[in-house]
Amino acid sequence: MMKLQRRSFLAATAGLTFLSAFPRMVLADGHDMLKVAIAAETGDLDLLQNVSTLSSYTVVFDALIHYGPGGVLEPGLATAWTVADDGLSISFDLREGVTFSDGTQFDADAAEWNLKRWMGVADFSWIGISAAFGSIIKDAPNKITVTLTRPVAAALLELTIVRPVRFLSPKAADADGKQTAPIGTGPWIVESYASDKTVLVRNDAYWGEKPSFARMELLVVPDELARANGLRAGDLDVIGGDWVAPLSPRRASALKTDGMTVVAEPGTATTILGYSPKSPMMQDKAVRDAIFIGVDRAAIAAVLFEGYADPTVNIFPTTVPTAGTRGEVPMRDVAAAQAALTAGGWAGDASGFTKDGAPLLIDFLVSDESFPGSRRIAEMIQGQLMEIGIQCNISSVDNATMHDRRPKFEYDLTFFATYGAPYDPHGSLGASFVTAADTGPDGKIYVSDDLDKVVLAALDAGGEAREPAMQAVYDWISANTAACPLVVSQRIWAVNPRLKGFGLPATDYDLPFKGITLG
Amino acid sequence: MKNWPWLILTPAIIFVLIGLFAPFLMTHDPTVQDYKAILSPASWSHWLGTDYLGRDMYSRIIGGARTSLVAMVFVLLAALVIGVVIGSFAGYVGGRTELVLISIIDIALALPSLIIALALIGVFSGASWSWMSDYWKMIIALTLAWWANYARMSRAVVVAELQQPYIEAARVMGASHMWIFTKHILPHVLGLVVVYASADAGALVLAIATLSFLGLGVAPPTPEWGQMLVDGMSYIEEFPSLVIIPGLALTAVVVSFNLLGEAFALQKVPKAVRGGLLRRKKATRAAEETARAATEAKV
Repeated sequence: MMKLQRRSFLAATAGLTFLSAFPRMVLADGHDMLKVAIAAETGDLDLLQNVSTLSSYTVVFDALIHYGPGGVLEPGLATAWTVADDGLSISFDLREGVTFSDGTQFDADAAEWNLKRWMGVADFSWIGISAAFGSIIKDAPNKITVTLTRPVAAALLELTIVRPVRFLSPKAADADGKQTAPIGTGPWIVESYASDKTVLVRNDAYWGEKPSFARMELLVVPDELARANGLRAGDLDVIGGDWVAPLSPRRASALKTDGMTVVAEPGTATTILGYSPKSPMMQDKAVRDAIFIGVDRAAIAAVLFEGYADPTVNIFPTTVPTAGTRGEVPMRDVAAAQAALTAGGWAGDASGFTKDGAPLLIDFLVSDESFPGSRRIAEMIQGQLMEIGIQCNISSVDNATMHDRRPKFEYDLTFFATYGAPYDPHGSLGASFVTAADTGPDGKIYVSDDLDKVVLAALDAGGEAREPAMQAVYDWISANTAACPLVVSQRIWAVNPRLKGFGLPATDYDLPFKGITLG
Repeated sequence: MKNWPWLILTPAIIFVLIGLFAPFLMTHDPTVQDYKAILSPASWSHWLGTDYLGRDMYSRIIGGARTSLVAMVFVLLAALVIGVVIGSFAGYVGGRTELVLISIIDIALALPSLIIALALIGVFSGASWSWMSDYWKMIIALTLAWWANYARMSRAVVVAELQQPYIEAARVMGASHMWIFTKHILPHVLGLVVVYASADAGALVLAIATLSFLGLGVAPPTPEWGQMLVDGMSYIEEFPSLVIIPGLALTAVVVSFNLLGEAFALQKVPKAVRGGLLRRKKATRAAEETARAATEAKV
């Protein structure tokens, strides 16, 4: 009896030991996999089509130059580069020994094939280096020179953007040049793609620092609350990022309370209140001045962003290069705003202002669909302006209507946001402040003939002339109250505490995985 | 009246009363922001607490009732008038005119009302309509989306009544079309559509809230329940009252109107009304007969 009991005990112990190991064996995959939430499906990652989510490209495809923290240019597929003194050519030393994930060699031929897919192509003329493209010279098997018809001051920065500048395997395109598969040189390889998730596996042949885990799942979770609950439940490891799976300040605070790790850093994009240059009401500088002084930026940052934003009067934050000297954020001053209106010929008080019999009534165009949370900011600003005596009708519209009305300047006030790194400052300046720029449905923040000259001069200025030229743009915008910068929202991410070494990537267009180890 | 379903009608009646007397019931201006009182819990100064801009939730709920009530009444009245006019005209005139109008009604009924309203609001969102407030855009859109049911019902009643012998008798006696329609047919039409409209009120309150929830209805700062719901969604984890309070108000009113509609459909209420009417008619007739008998006896 005693022997039987001992045998049973040993058998049970052995069984329990096996069973306790079994879940670990089953979960081994989970322990070696990072689960990242994305708000929308990745798409097929076609580098020439504007359909896939930008963040997903960055883990599969490399660029010649990478955008590092603080806007520092870091070697990517190019180990070194030289810009000619006249700015008309840029030579690149290509990284040797790099292969695409299908085994194709990355060399001057592959680089030339890739660059010619978008350089000098009309669809990509919004990229300065494409519009000024001259030719590509293969100097050596691993060295190329791109010649330009005119200098492009932001050429190197433009080579760090996501689409279409990254490199595709020449074998991953059909005879017409259409991309057939997402094959890049990046740290991750697309194993499978579906509408609900994309599975990536580590590229063990990656030239750079390899991820510490073998798999990464990009799970599509469109609803923010569902993402937060997924993180709490352990179904997700990482949520956040404006271009990945936005996390609101309120939700971040709640997650922090629940023990999740919340990481927030100064952002690179500015939320701006745009005055329509075509609106008779907004052509009156007194009205623009009154709004500029009358908006309480500190309250917006504290109340609606819960401290996850910094009030500003500058077009760009210091986290993007050549952002200019810092302006002092004014305290909201109702009396000064009313005085500005009175000086501009408006008569009235807090109950309302009129000029030549016409009331001061502003049409505030808002779309929560295209800019989540904007209606609440508009509501707050509406209350602040009404205290001054500026009546304000909020037109809450859908995304399509917003994109129809904004390019036509069919509004008095509306929200804009700068693109952020790595697109700024040249991206937002060239697109949002130049009359001739084709920005499609995005519209422009402010345009005028005078401003065109200043902005175009700044975009063309290189070397030491660039900073003062950029400053001239900022000074012009400030002196003419051409825009009303509000806040720079912080970049907010929340991660499962089991993750170690989490750090924000350099831009909001990158997915975080570098330095992360899974617990 | 004792047979009326008072219990289920109570929220609807309270809704109407609150809507009517809202300015006297509000303790604060529902649009005034107070950053020092943001997300305050319920207290003596703020009975239901405050929202994310420090606005008094109680006053916003009261104001929201008024917003919904006014919009609902406007839409119901307008849809009823348009529907009755078009439907009755179609039924009375007949022929090709009826065929054309019935086709239009069928097309309007083929699509869900809310989808039509959303599409119309999309049309009204253009800059050429910016002179009109979002509130009136919503009312017009809902009216244009809501009239078809009333038109179809009106036409059906008119066609049915036209078959009745008393209409033929009226014609033989030389009554005009207008007289026949207003005196003999319209009361029947109104009897049905008004009952249907009262049952439809709940769906309309919900549609108004839905449009505002989608950001396409009432414009800020006007308080509206659907808008309060969507604004509170961001705070649902830590301040669920921002969602629960407008949600409960909306649910109570919609359920109440829906049950009222069900009561009408099951003829509980009409029975009570009809019984009262019958009793009154019988009493009147009995009094008349008594008077006639008395007169005859005197003669």
